[in-house]
Amino acid sequence: MAAHPHLGARLIAWRNAYRYRRGRALLAVALVVVAIGVVAALPPTGPILGWLGRTRAVTFLIATILFTLSTARRRQRASIAAATSWLAALPTRSPMRLQVMASTAGWLAGLVGFSALAWAVGAIGRTDFSRLAVAMTAGAVVGLLAGWRLPKAGIGAPGFHRAVVRRPRAAWASAPSLSPLANWPAAQGRIFSRPKRTAPVLLLAMMAIPSGLHDAPGQVALAVAGLCMALYSVFSLSAAAVRVAFDAARWLAPTTVGKWRFAAALFWRVVVRQVLALAVLIFLTGVVDLHRTLAVGIPLAALYLCASLTLAVAVALNACRRTGLGAAGRGV
Amino acid sequence: MAEALLVRSLHAGYDKLVVLGGVDLEVARGEWLALLGPNASGKTTLLHCIAAMLVPSAGSISICGHSLRQEAMAAKRALGFGCAPEYLPDLLTGRQCLEIYAAAKGLEAIGGDVLALAEEFAFTPMLERFVGSYSLGTKQKLSVLLALLGEPALVVLDEAFNGLDPASALVLKRHLRSRVSAGRCGVLLATHALDVVERYSDRAALLLDGRIAREWSREELAALRATPGEGLEMALAAACAGS
Repeated sequence: MAAHPHLGARLIAWRNAYRYRRGRALLAVALVVVAIGVVAALPPTGPILGWLGRTRAVTFLIATILFTLSTARRRQRASIAAATSWLAALPTRSPMRLQVMASTAGWLAGLVGFSALAWAVGAIGRTDFSRLAVAMTAGAVVGLLAGWRLPKAGIGAPGFHRAVVRRPRAAWASAPSLSPLANWPAAQGRIFSRPKRTAPVLLLAMMAIPSGLHDAPGQVALAVAGLCMALYSVFSLSAAAVRVAFDAARWLAPTTVGKWRFAAALFWRVVVRQVLALAVLIFLTGVVDLHRTLAVGIPLAALYLCASLTLAVAVALNACRRTGLGAAGRGV
Repeated sequence: MAEALLVRSLHAGYDKLVVLGGVDLEVARGEWLALLGPNASGKTTLLHCIAAMLVPSAGSISICGHSLRQEAMAAKRALGFGCAPEYLPDLLTGRQCLEIYAAAKGLEAIGGDVLALAEEFAFTPMLERFVGSYSLGTKQKLSVLLALLGEPALVVLDEAFNGLDPASALVLKRHLRSRVSAGRCGVLLATHALDVVERYSDRAALLLDGRIAREWSREELAALRATPGEGLEMALAAACAGS
């Protein structure tokens, strides 16, 4: 503990979180395990994993991109945490490298474990599983090295540097509107997805594919890389909507705004952006296989949009309940 | 004077932790009440109950005669609450915050006096910047401006002078005093700044161990002001020690 106060403090924080919210922590773990099991047993999981196992180059590419981005992000986050931690003034070094490697190893173990689960339930064969595991491990190693080498932004650079200032409405003072509230999750989504960081990585990957680095058809690989970017953007927006909902509800709790109006004002821009990203995604998959895109891609995209919106609204309503926003009968 | 706030037998806390154990408080329209108390005495908890951000376990709160339980929206309409600076949205600009808050309060326009106060605060050049880039004092200014939107009958501020530069603090004290003197609102200010209490408040109340342990009337505050030496500071220390 004395030699590694950062690690010791982290362990104590986890232990406290478990001790004081034991029921919630166990429930969350159980729900995650059940969800993973359900996803592994779903009918489309086998074919998708099987395809990824057969096209090792594409799997390697996806894993490399994802692990590069996540390593860069973890490193950035660890740098900020080390510089702003309450232990920053201590004459000991923060175990940043160990922290980043441990998280990468954890994610890799999770992905390989999921593939193993799919193999165990018979969704994929042994050959596909071993190919998948090798491709993902190789991608993780390359991604870890590449992500660590990526230039990082200034330590402690606040998130708003990556957000965009929108032009104010002309009637902002004479006819105020709730619509600018939608800029908040949109800006948070931009911070999560970090286009300035992801674009060069994807550009390099996309340039490498047609140059004959592997045997995957260029059209397919390009579509996969674009698909990753669109998916990343869509997931970032969903995460941003969930992340912002409570803070927004707490801020507006003393006002008279209703909960449905609040949820609509908060999420309309996120929904529009997700629709645009999913349209790009459908276009890219349509280039590869139009028939399956129409049969599977469009319903899947619509399903995701509905699920994302439902999750965001549920989180917003829960935040309203917890903060008292729009409540008509609080008190005793 | 019309009643802006009435709190009766208020009990509140977090899970098993009891913070307020029977608070009685009233603020009239045209009156400035300073809420004093040591750290962790429950001042912010009380203000959060008044702002409907925390559900009390017992007791009643009414704002301008509207019960926070039965007529929550009418009560909130009469309330101007200055939230803590850390609750402000980092990823919105000051102008967006003002616009959104005004719309959320159902206002048709942002009042000229709030825009004039922003000008006096030298806040106008900060309007296009993200709140995340603001200093503590600038966030306090925005928080106060949001609280004053829409001519609220009750203004509730938590440590509003914390981080403000002296010139801006003076502007705010005079602005609040003029609103109170004109009978436009009642002010409930939780503070540790005893100079504000002595010079500008009409009454003061000491919150200790979840109860109002001592109150100072207008006359008592005037007498303390006239007393050479520490005045209110000594009286406060004596009240805390006595309790």
